[in-house]
Amino acid sequence: MSVPRRIDLHMHTSVSDGTDSPEEILGKVRSLDLDMFSVTDHDAVKACAVIRGLLRDGDPVFVPGAEFSCRDEEGKYHILGYGFDPEDPAVLELVALGHSLRMKKVTARLEYLRDKFGFTFPDGETEALLALDNPGKPHIGNLMVKYGYAASKEEAITKYINGIRFKKEYVRPEEAIRGILDAGGIPVLAHPFYGDGDDLILGDEMDKRILRLMDFGLLGVEAFYSGFTAKLRCEMIATAERHGLLITAGSDYHGANKMVRLGDTGLDEEEEFPEGLCRFLDIFEK
Amino acid sequence: MNDKREGAVRAALSGRIDSGNASVIEAELRGQLEGHAGEPVILDAEKLEYISSAGLRVILRLVKEHRDLRVVGVSSEIYEIFEMTGFTEMMTVEKAYRTVSVDGCEVIGEGFNGKVYRIDRDNVVKTYKNADALAEIRHEREVAKLALILGVPTAISYDVVRVGDSYGSVFELLNARSFTKILIEEPERMDFCVREYVKMLKKIHSIAVPEGKLPKIKEKVLCAVRRVKDTLPEGLGDKLLGMVEAIPDSDRMIHGDCHTKNIVLAGDEVLLIDMDTLSVGDPIFEFLYMYNAYVGYSEYDPGIVLDFQGYDAKTAREFWHRTLAAYFETDDEDAINAVEEKIRCLAYPYLLDWSARHPGHDKEKEKATADLWRSRLVELLGRVDDLDLGAVAAAGRDPDELNIEAATDNLDEVINFVNEKLETCDCSPKAQMQMDLAVEEIFVNIANYAYAPDKGRATVRVEVSDEPVTVTITFIDRGVPYDPLKKDDPDVTLPAGEREVGGLGIFLTKQIMDDLSYEYRDGQNILTLKKKL
Repeated sequence: MSVPRRIDLHMHTSVSDGTDSPEEILGKVRSLDLDMFSVTDHDAVKACAVIRGLLRDGDPVFVPGAEFSCRDEEGKYHILGYGFDPEDPAVLELVALGHSLRMKKVTARLEYLRDKFGFTFPDGETEALLALDNPGKPHIGNLMVKYGYAASKEEAITKYINGIRFKKEYVRPEEAIRGILDAGGIPVLAHPFYGDGDDLILGDEMDKRILRLMDFGLLGVEAFYSGFTAKLRCEMIATAERHGLLITAGSDYHGANKMVRLGDTGLDEEEEFPEGLCRFLDIFEK
Repeated sequence: MNDKREGAVRAALSGRIDSGNASVIEAELRGQLEGHAGEPVILDAEKLEYISSAGLRVILRLVKEHRDLRVVGVSSEIYEIFEMTGFTEMMTVEKAYRTVSVDGCEVIGEGFNGKVYRIDRDNVVKTYKNADALAEIRHEREVAKLALILGVPTAISYDVVRVGDSYGSVFELLNARSFTKILIEEPERMDFCVREYVKMLKKIHSIAVPEGKLPKIKEKVLCAVRRVKDTLPEGLGDKLLGMVEAIPDSDRMIHGDCHTKNIVLAGDEVLLIDMDTLSVGDPIFEFLYMYNAYVGYSEYDPGIVLDFQGYDAKTAREFWHRTLAAYFETDDEDAINAVEEKIRCLAYPYLLDWSARHPGHDKEKEKATADLWRSRLVELLGRVDDLDLGAVAAAGRDPDELNIEAATDNLDEVINFVNEKLETCDCSPKAQMQMDLAVEEIFVNIANYAYAPDKGRATVRVEVSDEPVTVTITFIDRGVPYDPLKKDDPDVTLPAGEREVGGLGIFLTKQIMDDLSYEYRDGQNILTLKKKL
């Protein structure tokens, strides 16, 4: 087939905090007429297997993926992994680690809310919550709203749930990068300027950060991202070229949970693609 | 200028916007913008203290839905974030206005619409009295920028500030003197002022302005004419309207308020300021405002020009008259008068309209003034049939002739004129250089002696005839009668110490040219030089 022009390599299903099921997201990808896509749930690969089972002839190229939340003394990172084998023990271990930390935190949060504010939920609700693939603050927030402890999910998070912080319970970036590489995948730094989503890292700080992650084995950066302006995009492409990194493009679509359109990555299919992106696409072309 | 954005939907951003509340704020903003899809939006960030990338993304998403979205009142710290992340290139982000106090500041200028204060060693702030000052400041900045891009030397304000309840624009303090000041303090420099003023007028009148960038001044004048035409005797109002309508449309730049207060000398650079009246149209409209500034307003009470400019009515009239002569390159009084009469046909209706709309206290004086203007207009309309200055100017001008102030500063222009003419014939570089030398000798003589100690004009005429190819250069001035050919040739054989200082110029000229002749006729010195090529 010809070189993919319409791509979106960053989206979330209901396996993590998106609102579309893997089936629904595949339907949307098909109707958008994308050439290549990847599903990247937070610390989870379940959707990859589901989608693989649904693919048929003529579908866009599917690249298995995941987005790992990481942290170290220097800050927070979201590291994307692409093209690994979703059954590979290295990835499963990473997912399990992320999942267990997550479960630990959810449990601790529920205890904190009960002890500190006296918020309790029916057993059925907490069980359902813990049975989710990737429960997090938004899910607890929704529950609090449902039982009248907070007026909104945001109020629940900022006023109550954020009252407890976890300093040491995290996956380190080198662990995520190593796991992805071990499973035959490509580690890519998601939305580099935005850290784990809410930082704003620019200039020298950005460069240092990338060099440190490259030491761990980072191979690419997400230079095309729905939340970047043209200037940020150009800067990240230049950074990638300076360091010989691969380039990816992703929207970070979350269904109804985020105001982002599927396929909106800032990449103009009519323009010439940067070299790092071409190299990435070459790897996964059928 | 009409600001369409005044009809925009407004919403406020306040406090901190980070990942903790970005989605709440986004929901709130969306609620406020509901039903306004695609419409212009103004986000007021005056109370915004912090914005993280989550907040930036909220704005980015809104921009995708409302192309015409701008954020105003942004603090400098937050502006920096918008700038670093490329938001300032993608959308309009306006900084909060700095507040400047002018209490106790020296007033260095005062105009119809406000005052100019000196706020520190290097800066002045120009304040505006009217309610929509901000729109006016923006307009002035935009047109000044346009003028600069199109090649007009002007000053541009670099900041907009709050001054009390109103706004002001900050300019770098130029070590500048207006021509008004120069005319008052150094009246002997009037010829310099006239020359530079005319140069500036010709420059702006030669600039073609892209369609739609500036208002058409003809429309504005037509409105005034329509309002006053019925106060004129039967038939004359319609005649006037017809004449104004017949003035051809033009894309040339017009300053619209070009009097000596608005042209300044900064170092050796001449700048045009107060660009808010910039428009496009036929140059006659420029002269309308100029005539009124120097003559029109003070026709009944000559004290008015003294009050406004600081120089008297006689100086104003002389400056105006010399400007016309220089602009139209003629000292033919009939031609100048014909031009002025056409200009006055526009100037009086404008004054009558202005006076009707700006009533003052002294009703009697106002009436007398308006009656004088009206009677003069009526008299003019009896004999003026068109407002075509080009025709007069062309009739009064010969393409082979240059009429110019006899001043050594104008020598380059004279030489250029002669060389342009010589280019039409096959003239060797050597012959051209020789003739330039001759022209220099003669013109400098006229500049230095013909009118001394006063100033006057000279005409230089260049003709080229065939078989044999001959160049004839004629110099005409109205100065004291003087025949340079009568002077004895200097004895060039004498040793340097014994030679006379003067007389070499005309001697050289005689050597270079093949024939020289002089006559004094009709009060004019006419010196003719001929050279065969």
